[in-house]
Formats: sequence, C-alpha cells, structure tokens
Amino acid sequence: MPLLAVVAVALCAAMVLIVWSVMGGFLNSFLASGRQMIGDVTIAYGREGIPHYQQLMDMLEEHPDIDETTPTIETLGLVSLPFGESKDVVIVGVEPEGYDAVTGYSDRLYWRQREATGDDERRREAVQQAVENGADFSELPPADIRLDLPEGFEIFGERLLVGDPDAPAGAGWESAAVMGLRVSPFNATSEDGFFYPRFPGAFMPDRSITIRVVPFNRRGGFTTAGTVDREFPVANEFVSGLFQVDSKWIIVPLADLQQMLRMDATERVDPNFTPGADFVNGELVIRTPEVIGTSPARVTSVLVKAREGVTADEIEPIVKDIYTEFAALRPPGTMDSAPDAEWMRENGIYTWKKKPGLAEFIRQVESETVLILFLFAIISMVAVVLIFAIFWAMVSEKTKDVGILRSIGGSKLGIAWLFLRYGLIIGVLGAAIGGTLAYIIIRNINPLHEWLTHLTGRAIWDPAFYLFSRIPDQVEPGKAAIVLVSAVLCSVLGALIPAVRAANMDPVRALRFE
Amino acid sequence: MHKTYRLGRVDVPVLRGVDISVDEGECVAVLGASGSGKSTLLHLLGGLDRPDKMDAESGIHFRGRKLRDFSSGELDRYRTRSVGFVFQFYHLLPELNVLENTLVSAMVGKNRISWAKEKAACTQRAEMLLERFGLGHRLRHRSVELSGGERQRVAIARALMNTPDLLLADEPTGNLDQTTGAEILDAMMALRTETNQTMVIVTHDTATADRADRIVRLVDGKVVRD
Repeated sequence: MPLLAVVAVALCAAMVLIVWSVMGGFLNSFLASGRQMIGDVTIAYGREGIPHYQQLMDMLEEHPDIDETTPTIETLGLVSLPFGESKDVVIVGVEPEGYDAVTGYSDRLYWRQREATGDDERRREAVQQAVENGADFSELPPADIRLDLPEGFEIFGERLLVGDPDAPAGAGWESAAVMGLRVSPFNATSEDGFFYPRFPGAFMPDRSITIRVVPFNRRGGFTTAGTVDREFPVANEFVSGLFQVDSKWIIVPLADLQQMLRMDATERVDPNFTPGADFVNGELVIRTPEVIGTSPARVTSVLVKAREGVTADEIEPIVKDIYTEFAALRPPGTMDSAPDAEWMRENGIYTWKKKPGLAEFIRQVESETVLILFLFAIISMVAVVLIFAIFWAMVSEKTKDVGILRSIGGSKLGIAWLFLRYGLIIGVLGAAIGGTLAYIIIRNINPLHEWLTHLTGRAIWDPAFYLFSRIPDQVEPGKAAIVLVSAVLCSVLGALIPAVRAANMDPVRALRFE
Repeated sequence: MHKTYRLGRVDVPVLRGVDISVDEGECVAVLGASGSGKSTLLHLLGGLDRPDKMDAESGIHFRGRKLRDFSSGELDRYRTRSVGFVFQFYHLLPELNVLENTLVSAMVGKNRISWAKEKAACTQRAEMLLERFGLGHRLRHRSVELSGGERQRVAIARALMNTPDLLLADEPTGNLDQTTGAEILDAMMALRTETNQTMVIVTHDTATADRADRIVRLVDGKVVRD
C-alpha cells in the first residue's frame, strides 16, 4: 500500500512538472525568439509604407534610450525553388548591417564553417570528398554536418551578397537571399536536431531561387503592372526556432525589394501631362512629362532596439512621441505625408509582444498554461485522496499497534507524528521519483515524441500550430521546486486526518481490535 | 472506583465500587470469571482508561497522587516509566524483531538525541533481560517466528525494560499450555523475589492466583473477597 502511495505521488508530480515545463518553456522560448527576429518596438504601416523613414530613424536614434533602428519591408510573395517546387512565403527586405544590429540575425545563420576537430578528421575528409562529388548528406550518420562543410565555404548572408571573397571590394558581388531553413522542403532534421540536405544538390546555398512579389501603388492598391519576378542566389539559411518564420521567411536586400515593389525613390511627373507628340520645327517630338519632384522611398516598418537595460515597454511611448513629432513634419495631403500619427499611435507602433498575430498567441498560450495547470491540480487532488484512503486503511490495519504503543506510553502527538512522518517520507520519495521521471521525460521529450509519432503515425506536437520545431525540453529549477514541495505537502495533507484518527484512538479499544 | 461503558444507548456498568490497595513490593492476583471486569480494572490501573468520577476521593491513587490530576503528558510518562504491561495475547509489534520489540518501550517518549545517547545502555539492558528469559539466541527473530511462551517472555522483557514500579499482567498464561504457563509464572516470580517487583496479575486461573501474595476476587464488578 505505501508503495502505491509513492507511485501515485510520483506520477502526479511528474505529470504536473512535465506540463508546466513544456508549456512554460514553450512560452519562454517563443518570447525569446520573437524578440530576436523583430526587435523591441515596431513602427509598421502596411503596404503603402512609411516615406522618409531615414529621417524618422535619425530622430529616433537621437534619443538616449534607443540604441539602433532599421527599416524593413514585409510582403507576401511566391518562391520558385529548385526541382520544380514552389510555395507562398513572406519576403522580408532588410539592410543587413542595421537589421543585424537590431535583431542579431547573423547569429541565426545556419550554415557556417567551423574548426574541424582533430578526432573527426577522417569523417571530415570523407564529407569534403562527398561535397566535391555532389554531396549525399543523407547517407551520413546524424551529426552536425556544418562541422564538415568544405574548407572553401564562406559565411555568406550577413551582408546578403554572394561573390568571390578574393575579388576587390564591391566587384562581382550580387544580391542574395537568405531563407528560413524550413522554406526549402529539401532540408531534413537528424535525430540530434541538426539539419542536413536530403539528397545531392539540395544544399540550398549552392542554388538560386526565383521570388515573385506583387507591387502595390501608393494607396495600397494593385497596380496594372502585375507581378515582378527576380532570381536570387541563396547565400545562406537561418533558423530562428519560430516555425512560422523558419518555414515562411526569405530575407533579401531592402533596396532590391523596394525596387521590385516600386517602393524605391522615383521621379514624380506633372499629373496633368497628356501623352502625345508635337511637331517642332517640322520634326515629330514625343512629349515627355515634366519632372516636378521625387517620390520618396518607403518601407513597411521600422524596427527599434532599446538601449541595454531599457525594456521594450519603456521605449514604446518614447517611440510614439517621436513618431508624432515626425508626422507633424510630414503633414497629410502630399506624396511625402507620413501615416497619421493618431492612427499609428493606436495601431502601428507596438512592442514585439503586441505584434499582431503574436499578442493573441502569447495570451492564448498563457491562458492555456493556467487552464492545464488548474486541471492537473484537480487531478493531483486525486493523489491526496488516494493517500488519504491508503493511510486510512493503514491506520485501521495498525489499530492494535497503535494500542500497544499507547500502552507503553506513546503520546497522542507521537502517534500522529508517526503517521505524518510516514506521509512525509512517502511524499519525499514520490517527489524524488516523480521529479526524476519528469526530468528524464522532459529532457528526452523530442526523441520520445518522434518515437510516438513513428508508433502512431500521427504527430502530437504539430510544429505548424505550435510554431516551434522542437518541444521545449528544459526544466526550470524554480518550477520543479514548487511542484516537488507541493507533492510532499499533498502527501502530508493526505496523511493528516488518518494520523489524527490514530492519535485519538481509545487505547483499550485499540488493544482489543481484531 | 466505578467504570461504566456506553454501548449504544445502554450504559453497561463494569466496575461497581471496587476498592483495593496494593502495597509496594506486593504481588496481588485479581481473580474473576470472564466479564467480571478484571481487565478493565487493570486498564484503569495502568492509566489506559479513566474511571468514572463519582466523588472527590474516587479514582486511582499512585504514591499519594491521583491519576485523574495527571496531565496528558504526565499520564504518558506514568505509562512509560511507572507501569509495565503484560497482555494475554503478548501484543508484540510484528514488523520488529525480539530486541527491537523489547527496546521500543525505552524509545517511546525520547527524542533522537536523547535516544542516541541512551541507545547503547538500553540495548545492553534489553539483551540482559532477554538473556535472562532465555531468548539470548533469538534477538534478531521476528515475533511470528517465536512460540507463544517465547513471545510472552519478550512481552515481559519489554514491560520490565524501564524498571517500572508496577507490573500489570493481564492473563499472562491464559494463552499458553500448562507447562509453558508455569514456566512464565516461574520466571515472573523469580523476578519478584530478586527485585521486589510490585505486581498485579489478573487471571481466571486459581493456580496462577495462588502464586500471589494476596488474591482479590472480582464478581460482577465488585470485590467479593480480599
């Protein structure tokens, strides 16, 4: 019976700890990753974009609490991948250096040359050979193949350019794209969680892709021009940990995307111009419109990074105020007008936590965590009831022993403590076993999930829904302590009433108990 | 001394004005048929139960003090130090071995520190007592591995562990065959001779009662002859 009680406590403690760790870990890593891709505060204005963004950025960067800013464009598009694959994606135009300064994106580039370790020399050579002969990575044992990239492999992507590293600066370099690792269907994951190309020729940094976008006019509507296609060599791939980002985002240089979307600076001509031709001195001259100014380049968002030690929530109102100042310099009614300050304060300026799509999701996960914990807390009450029942039965069974102990001078308190201590030991044992069990399960939750998926043919953790490609597998010591101490307390609580019953037994009746 | 138990709505008087006294060093046998109230008398003497409060003087007096005036802690200490119980059905703890069963009465009421200090001395005394009762070779055996006579000798050793002022024995030979019963009684009487142990033995067996200094006959909760 006591063994049963230990098992009940262990299972309940393990159950609660696993759920809390996975859900909480999920939320934590989500928050951390989200911030790394989108900076602290975003100023966003849909398809029409924000003109004179450089001026806005200069104004922002003057503030001591703002560290860096960077312009970006986010637009929907299609990508044509090698081997006839195509899919819908999000094309993100960035200025690589500024974007890296705000988001630290270069740390998320996946393919990079590392120092090959001496003891891995043989394997490294084999892989190098394989790469030269059209690598078949799929036949390699699961490991981090990045360690085995050939010597000549350069880390491209930080500057979103590819070219000959030995060529003089600026010569022979061309704009390139950096894709999320899950955009290409040709990347597979090893059991150890490393990505590798599924078959020879599928290593994306060796390939080019074609991106198709739809330009919008300055009022956010479609233009008659249709779609714009452009081929980009792939410089590298990145992994953020956010499934939706890794499976959808393709990062390209901002200037190229501005050009494709017609968001770059252009000449403005007389709107009253009538096309046609005139005879001038007997020659037919085609009319050209009069240039009356330039239409400024635009971006859909400006990302802002707070200075070290300043939170996103702290700089949000500062950014709003600076934007209002900026909008006042660009009053409505012209091509240079900034989006309305009031509207932007309400809808267009937000911290990374409040980014549309993310905010709802964060709330959802938080309330789900609370709900699940509540449900499991109720289930854990079963453990208390079970221990209560077990101890009740145990006290009944030991009635005569209680009588014997009382007859030799055992005090009521001593008898109660005897059973409470038993409950405590069961709680401590159960918590220790449950904690160990939870730790083993949480640390191995991804292999376990893969095994279950393999067994049932159905993925329980759907990355498309949970955004993360891997289930969080960290145990927070604080949470573990709360769960395990609660398990011990529950166990003592379950033993309390039976202990009091034992203490209050009439020793004479207890001695006569058969 | 009166004692009435309540069974449902009915009051059942068990002891109806019992008045006895036991001198120090005396061995008194309480003789009575089944249901005469002799076990109840023993439980009251041992502080396991309380007699009915009839008047200011009624109750049990131990060395001039009334048991009724004892606090709960004092009563616990009285049972530990002043009284030793021997039961008809031995009442040993089945999970413990012979030595542990003997030591348990010394452990009761002590915290870990004082027990750690006294453990060696107590163990020595327990072993001495068990040796004396012929159980020196069975110290590590559990009670289920012992015969009835052996179990009762362990129970006596346990009762004597704290050198009590008063040994209370409830039908100590009632569950044993005649020969074994006689052996147990011999052991108890030898002890009495050696240590001048005060004893109250409850029995329905006249042969057992005859070994005592004095016999108190109990019939229907009253002393009929002292």
